[in-house]
Amino acid sequence: MSGFFQPASSGLSLALHLAASVLASILLLIGMHLLLGPRGKRWLVAAVTFLGGLYLGLEYFLPVRKETLWPTHLPNPNPNAAANLLTPGIQSVTNMLTVIGAFTVGLGIYSLCQVHGRNVARSRPGWHNSFAFFLAMIAMLVFGLWEHYLPPSGSDAAGLPWPRAVYTVLFNGMFVPLQAATFSLLAFYIASAAYRAFRVQTLEAGLMMAAAFIVMLGQVPLGAWLTSALPTTGVGGFFRLEALGEWVMRWLNTPAQRGITFGIAVGGLAMSLRIWLSLERGTFFSE
Amino acid sequence: MTESATTNFWERMQQIPRYWIYLLLAGVVTWQILRPLPLPVAPSLETQGVYDAIRAVPDDKLIIISTDWDASTEAETAPQTAAVVHACFQLKKKFAIMNLQPPMGVKLANDIAKQAAKEYDAEYGVDWCNWGYKFGFDNVLLSMAKNIPKTMGEDFYGTPVSDLPMMKGVEDINSIGLVIEITGLSGVTEMWIGLIQGPYQVPFASGYTAVMAPGYYPFLDSKQMAGMLVGAKGAAEMEALVNRPDKATKIMNVQSWAHMLIIALIILGNAGYLLARRQAARRGGQAR
Repeated sequence: MSGFFQPASSGLSLALHLAASVLASILLLIGMHLLLGPRGKRWLVAAVTFLGGLYLGLEYFLPVRKETLWPTHLPNPNPNAAANLLTPGIQSVTNMLTVIGAFTVGLGIYSLCQVHGRNVARSRPGWHNSFAFFLAMIAMLVFGLWEHYLPPSGSDAAGLPWPRAVYTVLFNGMFVPLQAATFSLLAFYIASAAYRAFRVQTLEAGLMMAAAFIVMLGQVPLGAWLTSALPTTGVGGFFRLEALGEWVMRWLNTPAQRGITFGIAVGGLAMSLRIWLSLERGTFFSE
Repeated sequence: MTESATTNFWERMQQIPRYWIYLLLAGVVTWQILRPLPLPVAPSLETQGVYDAIRAVPDDKLIIISTDWDASTEAETAPQTAAVVHACFQLKKKFAIMNLQPPMGVKLANDIAKQAAKEYDAEYGVDWCNWGYKFGFDNVLLSMAKNIPKTMGEDFYGTPVSDLPMMKGVEDINSIGLVIEITGLSGVTEMWIGLIQGPYQVPFASGYTAVMAPGYYPFLDSKQMAGMLVGAKGAAEMEALVNRPDKATKIMNVQSWAHMLIIALIILGNAGYLLARRQAARRGGQAR
């Protein structure tokens, strides 16, 4: 099966493969749509989900050949033998998953275009924002692809082909600063929220504030400088702000985080099982 | 000053309009950007762990730098990536950049590595390469553990990765000496540790935004992680280790004073709250 997923050997072969794949996919979808009712579709999706999960789970958990259990400090005579019965197919299965996953990008774009297209067509309030979305998406798409297929050019700005220059302005000059600026606004909100909401009304709040001050000062050079007169070792060293901050993170934060992580992992396992066995409500064409 | 005026003063201290707070913060940031007061940066154990892990990579193995970040966390993750790249070049360790999500990170990291490579006369494809963005999260990791060239296919520039000189002999995860995951996304580290570090015992180190880092201390404690860069602080410490103070060191000056301002504001708000409450209680006592 892995041979089927090999890259096409020539441009013509690639085009033929693509055309055949699209045609086969369309025929398959039409066939399934006509032949399977809602119940049949649900069963098909559940079966594929179950088989996919079963394969990946077994491939991961089934033991590999004995040689790979060699201790790491001894030379392994056959390092490429880390395989079990299912390993040869892993490449093809993960390729399939990647292709299926890539469809979600297309689905996302389709959905966005549908929503914003309706806003523009009906001139709804804020339609100009939707129009800006189309403008930005089309500009990035056109110049991104154009730039991608241009031959490499030197770093000299004067010698840049104009589509690459436009792409650079769009990406480095607009997209990156806009995204960074949006996130940086958080600093202002945090400063304001901390001042307004952080009140020591209980003992617990007092403890939290003490821990917050220690970590905030321990995380910056100014905090280390404030207690730099203390010795670096011994009991005095423990009270240096950077050491206290480290102590809070390692001895108080770590066990708490470990507990939270453990809880999340158990919840994640239960959730994965429900999805794998299609027990989760609201999935796969259910009412 | 009358008692009611004093009470009003402390109440007002709890209600400074937010635009004044924004202005104060902007002022502190601008002051430290324009006239920074240099402060010493000493590497923490977490950062030293990352540096030591890079140094310990055998010469015949590659380092993977997984740059799963975008511009929203660039202030912290870009200097981390830059400092790690400089450490690799200085210690003459070959590395490959890759990206699982968000795709923007791979270009931003590529620009950083390209810039740094000029300083060390490092050649693309020989000393470093960029495997590009690969869609599929855990599928990519599962697959690359068995076969790296096949999983990666083409690099950032469209060249088959197997054609790159530094990829000669690189077959599967056994060819990797260290994975450094730099990210602003939670969840990716768990995949690396679950699918690569654990089963194949590949050393793992990481760089996170400061807000994420506390969640990953358990992995450091369990030795599943050799080291960790914590926000801009980790990046500044790494810059100190590679003797190249840069953006993160400047950020730490700004952050130092911004933290001080926030602490001062919290103290002011609480002082106002406690004193106003005490005076209200005293007034209540007198009324009785």
